[in-house]
Amino acid sequence: MTGKGQIHIRNLHKSFALSTSGAGSIKTALLWWKRRSIKKVEVLRGISFEVNPGECVAVVGKNGAGKSTLLSLLARVYKPTSGQIEMKGRTAPLLELGAGFHPDLSGIENIFFNGVILGLTRQEMRDRSQAIIDFSEIGEHIHAPTRTYSSGMLARLGFSVAVHIDADILLVDEVLAVGDYDFERKCYANIDEFRSKGGTILFVSHQMDAVRRVADRCIWLKDGQIHRVGSPDQIIGEYEGRDPDPGLG
Amino acid sequence: MLGELRELWRYRELLLVMVQRDLKIRYKNSALGFLWSFLNPLLTVGVMTFVYTNFIFPDQPNMGAYIMAAYLPFMFFQQSIMDSSQSVVSSIPLIKKIYFPRELLPISAVISNFVNFLLALGIFFAYLMVNFFFHPGDFPIKGSVVLLPILLLISFVLSMGTSLIVSALNTFYEDVKYIVGILLYLLFFLCPIVIFDENVANSKINLSSNWLVYKLYNLNPIANLCTAYKKAILAPYDPKAMSPVGAAPDVVVQVGSIPLSYKYLGATAITSVLLLIVGYAIFNRLKWRFVERP
Repeated sequence: MTGKGQIHIRNLHKSFALSTSGAGSIKTALLWWKRRSIKKVEVLRGISFEVNPGECVAVVGKNGAGKSTLLSLLARVYKPTSGQIEMKGRTAPLLELGAGFHPDLSGIENIFFNGVILGLTRQEMRDRSQAIIDFSEIGEHIHAPTRTYSSGMLARLGFSVAVHIDADILLVDEVLAVGDYDFERKCYANIDEFRSKGGTILFVSHQMDAVRRVADRCIWLKDGQIHRVGSPDQIIGEYEGRDPDPGLG
Repeated sequence: MLGELRELWRYRELLLVMVQRDLKIRYKNSALGFLWSFLNPLLTVGVMTFVYTNFIFPDQPNMGAYIMAAYLPFMFFQQSIMDSSQSVVSSIPLIKKIYFPRELLPISAVISNFVNFLLALGIFFAYLMVNFFFHPGDFPIKGSVVLLPILLLISFVLSMGTSLIVSALNTFYEDVKYIVGILLYLLFFLCPIVIFDENVANSKINLSSNWLVYKLYNLNPIANLCTAYKKAILAPYDPKAMSPVGAAPDVVVQVGSIPLSYKYLGATAITSVLLLIVGYAIFNRLKWRFVERP
C-alpha cells in the first residue's frame, strides 16, 4: 500500500482574482463592466520542492503565507496558474475532517459518503465501516443524525474515516490529532503506524509541538515563497525567534 | 472532453452514492417520505382536472390522465433544473475542501429527480389500470407506449444539458436561479399540460399565421416532449370534445386528432443532444473557477 507516495512540485504559481464588490450579480456586471476592479493577488510565487516516499514534511508560516493554498492545489481543489505538480500514490486530502458531512444523515451514512468521496469503492467502505466506527468510539450514536453530534464527535468520526482509507499520501491541514487526551494519543499512534508503513505526509500546522513530534523536514513559507528549509528544530527555532509583527505586539 | 468523460467514469461509484444520498436527504425529516414525490403532482393534477372538466372541457373523458401524462415529464424537467441550479452553490464549502469532478453535483441532482420521475410514472400506469378496472372501455394504454424509453432518454438528455448550463452560471450570478424560476413558471403555460396541441393547431392565431404558431410551439423541446408523452401513452381523443365551453357554435374544427410527429420529436432530440454537448462544454470551462469566484 504505502512506500510509494511521492510529491514533486516545480515552480508553482497561483494567483487569485480579488474583487472588491463582493458577490457577483448580473446587475453589478452590467453596471460596472467597464470599471470592474478585479485585482490579481499572487498567493504562491514560484515554489519547488519534493516530498520523498515515507517522508513527513511540515509547512509553517504566518497566516496568508500561502500554506493552505499550497495544500488545496495538491488536493486539486484549485488549478495552478502555472508550474507542475506530480503526485504518485493514493492521496487523502484532509483539508477538513468530515468534509461533506450532512447534518440530517446518520453517522454511518456520512462515513460511507465521506469514504467514497475520498476515493474508496462502496465495497471497500462496507468492509471497513466497522473498523471506522470502532476507532471513532462513537458507539451507539453512530445511527443518530450527525446534527446531534458534538464537535468533538464529528472531528473523531472524520479523523477515523481519514485514517482508514489506506492512502499513500496524507495532506493534512492543522488536524493531526483531535479529541480529548486519550483520543489524541490514539491519533498520534495511528500517524506513527502510518509512517512506519512508509506513508508520506505533508501537513500544515501552527502547532509547533505537532511539527516537532512528527515532521522530518520543515518548510517555512513566507509571502508565497519558500523562505527556509531544514530540520524541524532548526526551522522552528528561527521561526519562533523571528521579529514579532509590530502590529501584533 | 474525452479526458473529462474518462474522469467522470472513474468517479461512477461516488455518483451512485451521491444519488442515493440525494434521495435519502430529500424527505429525511418528513413523515410521508417518498409519498411527497407523488402527492405533489397528484394534488396539482387533481385540482387541474376538476377545474378543466367542470369549467372548460366538459366532454373530455379521462382528462386527469391526459394532464398527468404531460405534467410528470414537465415536473421532472422543472425540478431537476431548480435542484441543480443550487447544487454547486450549496456545495461550495465542500468543493473547497476536496476534489471530485464538479459535474457530479448537477448530474446527481438530475439523476435523483429522474428516479423520482420513473417512480411517479409507475404510479401513473397503476392509476390507469385501476381506472380501467372501474370504468372498462377501450384499453387506456396504446401500443406506442414502447416509445417510452426513447422519450425518457430525450427528457433526460434535455434536462441534463439545461441543468449543466444553469448550475454553472448560477454559481457566478445567483440571479440565474430567479430568472430560470420565472421562465419555468411561464413555460408551464406554453406547454400542452392542460391544453392539447390540437387546441393550438385549431386556434385562430395559428390558422391565420399559416401554421407558424404551431411550428414554433412544437419547436419548444419541452412542449413537444409533453405532447409526445401524451400521444405515445394514451389513446387519441376526439378533438370535438376539446372545443372549450362557450366557444361559438360555428367554430369549425379544422384538424382532427394529430398523430405523434416524428419530425418534431427528431428536432427535439437533436436540440437536446446539442444542449447537452454545449452544457457540458460550458460547465467544464467554468468549473475550475467555481471555488475562486470573486
